[in-house]
Amino acid sequence: MSRRVSAAGCFARGVALSLSKPYLAVSLWLIQLLLAGVLVLPVSNALHSLLDHSSTGSRMVADPDFGWWETIRRTHPDLLGRLPGAVEDATGVEGVKPGSLAELQGIGATAISLALLGIVLHAFALGGIFGALREPHSSLVVFGREGMRRFPAFLAFTLGALAAALAAYHWIYLVTGETWRDRLNDLDTEGQAMALTTARVVVFLLALAAIKLVADSVRAIWVARPDLPAVSRLFAGLAAAFSRPARLFGVLLLYVLSGAALYVLWIFLDPSAGGEARFALVPLILAQQVFVFLRSLLKVGYYAGVSEALTRVPSPEYSYVPAAAVEPVASVDRAPDEAAIDGPAGAI
Amino acid sequence: MPRAKGRSSLLALARNALPALAAIAATASAAPLPAAPLTRPIASYQISCRLDAEKKVVEGTELLTWTNTTTHPAATLQFHLYLNAFRNTLSTFWRESGGGHRGNRLPESWGSIELTRMTLADGSDLLPALSYISPDDGNPHDRTSAEVQLPRPVAPGETISVSIDFRSRLPRVSTRTGWKGDFFLVGQWFPKIGVFEEKGWNCHQFHGVSEFFADFGNYDVSIDVPARYRGKVGATGVRVEERDLPGERVLYRFRSESVHDFAWTADPDYLVVHDLFREPGIADTQIHLFLQPEHRAKEGRYLRSVKAALSGYGRVLGPYPYATLTVVDPPWGARGAGGMEYPTFITGGTHRMSPANEHSPEGVTIHEFGHQYFYGLLASNEFEEPWLDEGFNEYMEDRVVGAAYGSDNPVVTVFGWRFPVGIPIRRPLDVNRRYFRVATEDVLAAPAWKFRSSAGYAGHVYSKTALALATLERLIGTSTMNRAMRLYADRWRFRHPKTADFIAAVNDATGQDWHWFFDRTFFSSGAVDYAVEDATSEKSKPPKGLFESEGRLVEKPPADLASPKGWDTVVTVARRGEVAMPVEVALRFEGGHTYRSRWDGEARWKRFRVERGPKLVEAIVDPGEKVLLDVDRTNNGRLVTPDPRAASRWTSRAVFWMQNLVDFLTVAW
Repeated sequence: MSRRVSAAGCFARGVALSLSKPYLAVSLWLIQLLLAGVLVLPVSNALHSLLDHSSTGSRMVADPDFGWWETIRRTHPDLLGRLPGAVEDATGVEGVKPGSLAELQGIGATAISLALLGIVLHAFALGGIFGALREPHSSLVVFGREGMRRFPAFLAFTLGALAAALAAYHWIYLVTGETWRDRLNDLDTEGQAMALTTARVVVFLLALAAIKLVADSVRAIWVARPDLPAVSRLFAGLAAAFSRPARLFGVLLLYVLSGAALYVLWIFLDPSAGGEARFALVPLILAQQVFVFLRSLLKVGYYAGVSEALTRVPSPEYSYVPAAAVEPVASVDRAPDEAAIDGPAGAI
Repeated sequence: MPRAKGRSSLLALARNALPALAAIAATASAAPLPAAPLTRPIASYQISCRLDAEKKVVEGTELLTWTNTTTHPAATLQFHLYLNAFRNTLSTFWRESGGGHRGNRLPESWGSIELTRMTLADGSDLLPALSYISPDDGNPHDRTSAEVQLPRPVAPGETISVSIDFRSRLPRVSTRTGWKGDFFLVGQWFPKIGVFEEKGWNCHQFHGVSEFFADFGNYDVSIDVPARYRGKVGATGVRVEERDLPGERVLYRFRSESVHDFAWTADPDYLVVHDLFREPGIADTQIHLFLQPEHRAKEGRYLRSVKAALSGYGRVLGPYPYATLTVVDPPWGARGAGGMEYPTFITGGTHRMSPANEHSPEGVTIHEFGHQYFYGLLASNEFEEPWLDEGFNEYMEDRVVGAAYGSDNPVVTVFGWRFPVGIPIRRPLDVNRRYFRVATEDVLAAPAWKFRSSAGYAGHVYSKTALALATLERLIGTSTMNRAMRLYADRWRFRHPKTADFIAAVNDATGQDWHWFFDRTFFSSGAVDYAVEDATSEKSKPPKGLFESEGRLVEKPPADLASPKGWDTVVTVARRGEVAMPVEVALRFEGGHTYRSRWDGEARWKRFRVERGPKLVEAIVDPGEKVLLDVDRTNNGRLVTPDPRAASRWTSRAVFWMQNLVDFLTVAW
């Protein structure tokens, strides 16, 4: 008799797996650090040039100075371009338009490029994470090998999911905003307008969640079922996502909530503020990186939780009959615990 | 020529309304108003109107009593017909605004005002002699100003009466007037006579950004509305009558003396709140707040801000002279009705989720109240010298809000939800930074419709004026500035002051000639920018070369120079902007010593040298932030020894948040 495991159980198991293989989180953290590190020199040089000899600088050790920020935005459009405005637009009622990319400059434009590069590297990292999670004795070498092995497929999944997410932003958020712009003003109260906007956002976020869960399910099954042909794995992954939507969504929700809790904690403790009184520079940087690492641990935990939810604990109502175990093809370096989906509990 | 359509029905309305006007005249003496007008009326109106709430139409009859106060006869009359700004997309207003107002798209909901009868007291029909004029831009399609030829000129000092029937179709609210559902803000809704000056008529068209100009007079207005608006009608002046009419209707009558416009509002959803402002030395004022139910929680904030305004403005500019103040809170979707002023009647505006430190509705309420002075009492020409109302009011608003509430905080809107950001925005400098973006685009002293853009108009008319006056205040002192403002206000109450009149008041209050200041700020497009370009402090060294010693030249310096102690400091301060202002330069040395020097700021640069003094820590030009027009204050101070802490910390923050951005962007797929 199979036992049902809740979303919380899957997520907890995932986090435990993440903690047992910390080099996965380290890898994610390093990728993000290296990407962001590209900006260190241009940002640092620009800030030192602007602030080191300025009397304003001493006022800004702890807190931002509104006047300085406004002046720099005006006098140095080459630094960020319209990035702050684009970020504001993206979370505005009507959303950011594609043309905003053309108005980015300098560090602002570089940040977007780095983010796109981050998405590509993330595809590699996910291959490594999903693969390494299935290895009992894995290492950074396994992470790299698995990542490279699955990179083409995972990049395709990532780009597909990215395209789907952008389409969701356009069709669910932007188009409804444009369509309802005038009707929004016809509503009786601002509360109704906010509710409508919130509904748009919720639908958009649900669509994003669905896209993410489908993509992650496909990834998990792609790794778990090397015995199937590629097209079958793809459809098996899609089917898996729809077979356990509640559990998967629960895992995602727990991941989002725990991540949000980390951010709330960060903002509450606010180690960046307070200047030298609270944190010297080195402890501040350490605190920041510990935060990012903790978030990476959670992220790996989430992926492990998804894998758990899909492959480790079968649902009794799930009707898919697994294929007979087949020997892995010679070129596939299959891990000992790499079992077929929905095998009997304890078989893995 | 005006359209004749609907004339017969309006004539019938006029016939019905005339007895009402007669009744108004008969009961006027019984109205609870001040015994005497505050000023001599020039253009007075008796209006009787009826609101068709379904058709969004106001039909009315107006009896205008106008006196020629100039020294020459008036052969014509000119009128503002401002609702025609919304007649079609060919109007000057629509063309200039580009179909938008305050960042919002104008709805394609049309408005108009049609005159169906215009007669003199002797029965002469003036309507055939009416033509539309476009004195500002020659736009043949604009219908916002009209002129009518008189059968005989109005002699200097002569008073005439003109009876007019009109039909005003209101647009969906977008710019200061209109409707949304059952809500009405009825402004610029009746034919209003222009201002006859010595040089002729002053009757500008309705423009994209500018506001209004009219003569003082007394208003007696009866408003007939459906019964569902009972108790929910507010207007300029004092309500003197409420009477049921047949057909489920109710009539409200308002009177106001010594004002130059009249607006009213009606909304069955209003929560009406009454309060009394009372402060020693300032006359009592009845406050009528017409609040949206959705903003019930903002009642206290509205009232507190109104009282802060009555007190703050009253103490500097003299008491608010009217008995009432009506404050309107527009509903959602009618934001274009907010932030507007009419005599004794202002509109505010707020958000359902406005955090306290955003100061909404406080800021807009105080600002609009301020227009009771700068526009209401000091009725400058808003077309030709818009800074005299908007800019002066912005300056006073910064003072009143700053004193009552302190700094503002910016608000970040995320998917329609508003969150405060913990960065203080100081008044007046930070809230007027929009000027710096357009500093050299225009000359401030330009007619409202001749600015390059609406951003240029706002940046100059509002913000540059406010920063210039705040700079002047810092140069002459707050008490002297208050004296100048009071002098200006006292001299020009109920009149039409000009910029020169304010400069004269400043000169009289200070005993100095400040024309140079206004020439460089109001009448110049140049920017102010002072900077510390270089600041060094090096250990003093003994001089080298030949020195006199016991009657001959030797290569050894005298004993007092041979071992100098201290530091040699060199500071170069530059004027990078075109406009010069007197500034202070402060050199702060180790040990807490500060050397201060005044510089007239005229030259392009000035160098300061201090030999064998303490080591310089920093040099600051304008350390007291007196010259608020300085477009770049980040270069106003320079440290001798660089302090990398801020840059290092912000670099670490930038990298940290970039890591988070990468993570965020990779989390969804």
